[in-house]
Amino acid sequence: MLALLQYLVLGLLVGGIYALAASGLTLVFGVMRIINIAHGAFLILGAFLAFTAWSKLGIDPMLAILLIAPISFSLGWVIYKTAIAPVRTAPMASTVLLTFGLALVVEATMGVIWGNNATSMTPSYGSESFSAGSFYVPKAQVYGGLVAVAVLAVLGLILTRTWLGRAIRAAANNPTGAELVGIRVGSVSAVVFGLGMAAACTGGAIVGVLYSFVPGTHYMWIARLLAIVVLGGLGSLNGAILGAVLFGLAETLTSAYVSTAWATAFPYLIVFAVLLLRPQGLLGVRRREDASAL
Amino acid sequence: MIDLTRTLAEPRRLGYIALVAAAAYLLVFPVVSDDAYYQNMIILSLVFAIGASGLNIIMGYAGYVSLGQGAFIGLGGYTIGVLATKIEGPSPWLWVPVAGVVTAIVALGLGLVSLRSSGAAFVIITVAFLFLTGVIATNWVGLTNGTSGLTLPLPPWSRDIMNWPFYYSLIALLALQLLLSWWIRRTKLGMGLMAIRGDETKAATIGINLPVNKIVGFVASSVFVGMAGAIYGYYLTFIDPRGMFGILLSVQIVLSVLVGGNGTLWGPVIGAFIVESLNEVANNNFGGGNVRLYLFGALLMAIVIWLPRGILPSVEQLLARRRSVGRAGLVGARIAEGATLSKLSVSTREQRPVEPERVLLRVTGLTKRFGGITAVDGCSFDVLDGSITGLIGPNGSGKTTVFNLIDNTITPDAGEIYFDGERIERLPSWSRAHLGLGRTFQITRLFGDMTVLENVVAPQRSFSWSQLGHIAVSGPEARDAEELLAFVGMRDFRDQPARALSYGQQKLVELAQILMLDPKLILLDEPAGGINPVLIERMAEMIRELNALGKTFLIVEHNMPFVLDLCPRVHVLTRGATMASGTPAQIQADPAVIDAYLGDDFDLQPEKAV
Repeated sequence: MLALLQYLVLGLLVGGIYALAASGLTLVFGVMRIINIAHGAFLILGAFLAFTAWSKLGIDPMLAILLIAPISFSLGWVIYKTAIAPVRTAPMASTVLLTFGLALVVEATMGVIWGNNATSMTPSYGSESFSAGSFYVPKAQVYGGLVAVAVLAVLGLILTRTWLGRAIRAAANNPTGAELVGIRVGSVSAVVFGLGMAAACTGGAIVGVLYSFVPGTHYMWIARLLAIVVLGGLGSLNGAILGAVLFGLAETLTSAYVSTAWATAFPYLIVFAVLLLRPQGLLGVRRREDASAL
Repeated sequence: MIDLTRTLAEPRRLGYIALVAAAAYLLVFPVVSDDAYYQNMIILSLVFAIGASGLNIIMGYAGYVSLGQGAFIGLGGYTIGVLATKIEGPSPWLWVPVAGVVTAIVALGLGLVSLRSSGAAFVIITVAFLFLTGVIATNWVGLTNGTSGLTLPLPPWSRDIMNWPFYYSLIALLALQLLLSWWIRRTKLGMGLMAIRGDETKAATIGINLPVNKIVGFVASSVFVGMAGAIYGYYLTFIDPRGMFGILLSVQIVLSVLVGGNGTLWGPVIGAFIVESLNEVANNNFGGGNVRLYLFGALLMAIVIWLPRGILPSVEQLLARRRSVGRAGLVGARIAEGATLSKLSVSTREQRPVEPERVLLRVTGLTKRFGGITAVDGCSFDVLDGSITGLIGPNGSGKTTVFNLIDNTITPDAGEIYFDGERIERLPSWSRAHLGLGRTFQITRLFGDMTVLENVVAPQRSFSWSQLGHIAVSGPEARDAEELLAFVGMRDFRDQPARALSYGQQKLVELAQILMLDPKLILLDEPAGGINPVLIERMAEMIRELNALGKTFLIVEHNMPFVLDLCPRVHVLTRGATMASGTPAQIQADPAVIDAYLGDDFDLQPEKAV
């Protein structure tokens, strides 16, 4: 019973980190109708950036987020302006291939800079745990989960409490209408892409403390994150958070009680099941069908 | 010099000459050269060419991107690997067609899961499928021997002709694949897939059963690829998850299609040879690894941004432009007078018996809300068999939404729709089209990339499996379409791409397109909107002529003289509900209608009207 409680807590903490990592993916899709296959590569890039800050500058990976967020936001903005903007109005079939190409380029760049060996970070608290009797939770998991929720809360505040957030939601809801009332959808999209990349990279910094990584790890992550946003409903932020928490719980319980090897197959099975039973996801809405098709 | 310009003026002929030369070279290559390096390279290129040409059916024709095409090669490879190592005795060649069947079954399952919904779901599921197959191949050790892989028996034939069987069987397979691609492009299925790429919602309204067309297309795009994967596996004699389900295998196939030309017959083949050559250079001269990732990634991005149509269409366009310099296109030509229906032999000419007292379409309590707005609010009206009925009302009164509800481009929140005695509000658009419902759009929705003729042969009148295989671009289907084009006066434009037409011309072609369905009821959304007076007159003439043959019309129109002149019965819609129904005279005299819509200075003079 205590073991189950422990897995539930762990699952929730992991779910918080997944939620942060998936938020950018669903946000970009919501505003631009782009499935950003490079999102997993952004996440691993965040892990490598944190690694550099930790190993070269001695900054704690969780604190390095304060540096990584603005850097990755700017990087995302530049990537949008140079690579995504030219095809912003192209059909999704084109943009998904573009971001796929981007993922490979980011993977190769990480391989050139940091090499293809397994990398991991071991901050002082890395091997410590909070414990009460036989109930224990690793400190890194707790810190990671809390930081992720904090960053996510900041993102939520930006989206709901600022003019920028209203512009973003307007652009997501009706790009043409948003243009008409004076919102520059192109600029909003660049900001959203930057925010999405920042969310991925900060999520990556946390993930890098918990697991070791190589550039190629991004495939596993994009599969997992796609499963989460499909589960929650493509384009829905609340859906992604719900999907992430459910996914974190399910994954933790599967690897604890079933098998770790087959736990890797788990995300894909979720995708299949969701698309078969409820294609719009848990919190997704069917869009007005006579408006532009998905 | 003169000869050269003449050859350039015939890009097709030049293309065929190059093609025959390349094919001949490939056929004799292993005989004249025993260079194993180039033989290997050609064998790999052939595998990718088959993969790319297959992918082209779903990605090029139907516009559905699959990032998991490489998994079908892997699936084929594992089929032969598992069977050849588990069952000793029969030649591994026996398992090649089996691999095709296995792949087709898997594609069918995958299609059933993903192709009922939209493109986003399909892309994601193909990625998930690719990774999942890799995980299964790694973890199901009992079957696949895990990461250690499977080793096939060495080929029994003489070492002198080592690669020949692989080489020539792949060439034969590529020929079959191209034949299949070529054939599909000419059938109703091919038209359906291309219509789906152009505009899925519209495709459904002209009777195209979306899931069936897409799933058949997807299975067709996989079957030879699985067989090629099996030959590839036998050729390698070693099969492991990395080699068979690597993501770059899929990337290379996608790239081949894009580089050569998405949606073209030969583009994917040309692309496969180009990309494989680049791949070899990256591997041999630059050590593979990251350079290969850069090559594939950057090429993918560059193509999408700068050359989205690929090499072959771009070259063709360039040559065509050189050829047509100084010559006016047909596009500006006058619309022909138009033939009368009685001179045509198509099925639409046949008189349909009409029962004037019978209700053909009945709408009751139809309601649709968009957020806080109730666009259609308990709307009810009847359309009698054989009538021309008008549906008028102020802007925003819900007329087009009513049309959208009737043909299921949107789903109602409440209410019932009866068509020809059958309740249809739960049926998909294509079933309604099969029952005899045709509809034009306020802003025409032709498939811009298809020619005028292809647009008109695209509709699927009813559903049958064999019908999907009927040739559409020539033969009886095309003859019917041409006659309908002659009726609307657009026959001369048959080979023009629809996007090149003017708005009025598009309206005429869209009418011919839905006439292909041989509909009982035709919904026209502003047939007279935005076109010139002569054409408006012709439009009215055609409507009367079709009506005389038993076609019923429901017309939304703002041009009052047009609609009041044409329609013996008119329904007036305000705020999403029917406020009045009656003859034009009754409507014009109704104070409520005048107040809500016509205005008190409205004065219709039919004798002056069009």
